[in-house]
Amino acid sequence: MNSQLTLSSGKRAHIMRSILKNKWLYLMIFPGLLYILIYKYIPMYGLIISFQNYKSYHGILGSEWVGFEHFERLFGSPDFWMIFSNTIILFALQLLIFFPIPIILALMLNELRSEKYKRTVQTLIYLPHFMSWVIVVSLSFVIFTVDGGIFNSLLEVLGFEKINFLLKEEWFRPMYILQVIWREAGWGTIIFLAAIASVDPQLYEAAKMDGAGRIRQMLNITLPAIKSVIVVLLILKIGDVLELGFEHVYLLLNSTNRQVAEIFDTYVYVTGIHQGQLSYSTAVGFFKGFVGLVLVIGANWLAKKYGEDGIY
Amino acid sequence: MKRRVAISMFMALTLLLSACGNGNGNASTGGKENEGTEGSGGQAARAKISIMTPLHMAETPDAKIEQLIEEKLNVDLDIQWIPASTFPDRMSAAFATSSLTDIVNISITGANREAIRDGQFWDISSYIDQYENLKKLNPEVLNNTKVDGKLYALYQGRPLSRQGIIYRQDWAEQLGLSDPQNLDELYTMLEKFTNEDPDQNGQKDTVGLAERGDLVSGAFKTIASWNGTPNEWGVMDGKLAPAFMFPEYQETMEFFKKLRSNGYINSDFPVTSKTEQQNLIMNSKAGAYIGCMCDVQQLYTGLAQLQPDAQLEVFNQVKGPSGKFTVFSGPGFNHPYLFPKSAIKTEEKLKQVLAFMDGMMSPEIANMLYWGIENEHYTVVDGMAVPVKEQGKIDRDVKPYNTIEVGDSATNNRLEGKYDYAPMQKAQELFADNEAYVVPDPTLMLDSDTFTKHKDRLAQIITDATYNYMLGEMDEAGFNKAVERWKSEGGTQMIEEFNAAYEQNK
Repeated sequence: MNSQLTLSSGKRAHIMRSILKNKWLYLMIFPGLLYILIYKYIPMYGLIISFQNYKSYHGILGSEWVGFEHFERLFGSPDFWMIFSNTIILFALQLLIFFPIPIILALMLNELRSEKYKRTVQTLIYLPHFMSWVIVVSLSFVIFTVDGGIFNSLLEVLGFEKINFLLKEEWFRPMYILQVIWREAGWGTIIFLAAIASVDPQLYEAAKMDGAGRIRQMLNITLPAIKSVIVVLLILKIGDVLELGFEHVYLLLNSTNRQVAEIFDTYVYVTGIHQGQLSYSTAVGFFKGFVGLVLVIGANWLAKKYGEDGIY
Repeated sequence: MKRRVAISMFMALTLLLSACGNGNGNASTGGKENEGTEGSGGQAARAKISIMTPLHMAETPDAKIEQLIEEKLNVDLDIQWIPASTFPDRMSAAFATSSLTDIVNISITGANREAIRDGQFWDISSYIDQYENLKKLNPEVLNNTKVDGKLYALYQGRPLSRQGIIYRQDWAEQLGLSDPQNLDELYTMLEKFTNEDPDQNGQKDTVGLAERGDLVSGAFKTIASWNGTPNEWGVMDGKLAPAFMFPEYQETMEFFKKLRSNGYINSDFPVTSKTEQQNLIMNSKAGAYIGCMCDVQQLYTGLAQLQPDAQLEVFNQVKGPSGKFTVFSGPGFNHPYLFPKSAIKTEEKLKQVLAFMDGMMSPEIANMLYWGIENEHYTVVDGMAVPVKEQGKIDRDVKPYNTIEVGDSATNNRLEGKYDYAPMQKAQELFADNEAYVVPDPTLMLDSDTFTKHKDRLAQIITDATYNYMLGEMDEAGFNKAVERWKSEGGTQMIEEFNAAYEQNK
């Protein structure tokens, strides 16, 4: 990689030749590059406002420069550790509880014998993915409310105490992760099923000849075969650490669970859009992006260390 | 080579962007030309006026009234209806991207106030007297909208206080109750609505009060002011202090806590929406609703569909422990209209916009914005407007236009209303009755830099603590800790700034 930075003229000519040779391929990649440039790189210019006292009507060039003031305010704020730990905890829940579920589901689907039954189940578990978070959250509101919700009525009939799922701090995380599982688990199986489908059937036949049962086949053939896919998805997931679903958390957030539910995304939205502190919320978003970057690089390094391909 | 690629890419980009820009320019001028030729018989090109306003209904209204206004005032109107629930967010986004309209219907607090001070809006002090209708606007209300003594805004009038209780009169009658004269009677009413099976179905399936997650427009602030809590700020030992530092505020929280622990209020009220709250009344699940008495019409329309013999009643004078009736007052106006310089570039254009606003205040247009089209949405009986029976039609065609009314019936001479539905008519009278008892917000005209900049952030600390207290998740010590936090994060400064301004204004 480093060699490219100090190109000798011979090498440069060589590269030119290869570009000319593959000019159609380079042309085809151009729209993609343009997209990334316009939507990902050019907007980074806006990060400047996190070092300013930005006033939209003065523009980026006309606003007052304040250096690290907003970052100091963020790190000095009593809210910082609350938001940071809430974000990390929700992320950990996603990683530990949610991430394995699509894999297990995919393995289970793979074991189904009736093709028809398998397709039906697949379609059914994909469905929730197409519902917006607004619907998912409203549905759980109707089901879990104390005022005549189905679940609490059931508890009451069975002689248990009603539980206030919506307004108790301790129920926020379980509700969050259950909703994520309900909506996304089925959809998440797609890539794993594709990976499983590409496993060479000869391997299974050979294993059967050696007397391996279905469980053994699953553990010793299927899982190792899709290991690299799992690792890549895991790294990508870690990259999304701070993308916990703004819409979802924002819908669940209320005065009583703020101490556990406020995450970077909701904080940025409320301070920036609601309260008009654009510079401060940009600083928060900047920090969030930075943490995400560090985590991806870390995860990729770890993956490579343990002999996997990583994502770059 | 690399550089050349970069340069050509940059060129391509600028080309692309400028192409877009041109495209827009062409489209708009083209539009104008067309109108010129199409427009009603050789009139001068219509002035284009755009306005942003909140929409409180699910759908944008029928364009009929808009077209009539365009015709009468000879303008080309562009109304951007923005759902009320996201209105403030959309406004700050529009501000940040400088895509504000000629007229914006926004608050004059917080970041907007800073922008006003920064000169982002037209100062209309010297213009307003040149317009026949605009100069009729109430100087006192206009004063309330001033920033640093300068006038930036026109207003739409609102009664000072529309707060009161709406309750199931048939339930009350059957339980031997009448208008609650004080907080104790109110409590008893809510208790009986819960415990004594007012719907006589043999099941304990009703609650007293339907409440929503809104400490201001819901029941909380109204009950607090009945209990004698000051309106946002009050005078304590000769100095201004925020309402939540007064014992009456704490008593109100205690009142709600008791209601909730006894089940006299819907338990999930902190996360209940206005629609859900109204459904509780419409489905006969709850017996009382405290807030704007103007909602009685809507509640009754919904209720009567399921239970034609149900009766609602409105009442305002619920007295506190002191035996006196007090209720908080608004500023007398709703969202003021501001005129951003980013949209109105020249004085000429400003005059055009003001002339339009002046036209909006003419009785003819004012009636249209408030009541609709005569003989279609209302009829005139004894010089008063009587809305037609089909509430649905009014909601669909007329209601949304209420938010762009200029002034109020006292200043724009629109017809006073006479409602067929008696409680709605009574509500109008009670609005007027409230005026003699209102408690204003003493900081309305005062300035505090901290308040302007950090109002929402600081308010959230108290809002969260108030809910947690009412739910029993936080005790008095916890609440006081939240107050301390409020103080240390800027509250102390806010108190000092307001007091300094208060002394100066005395």
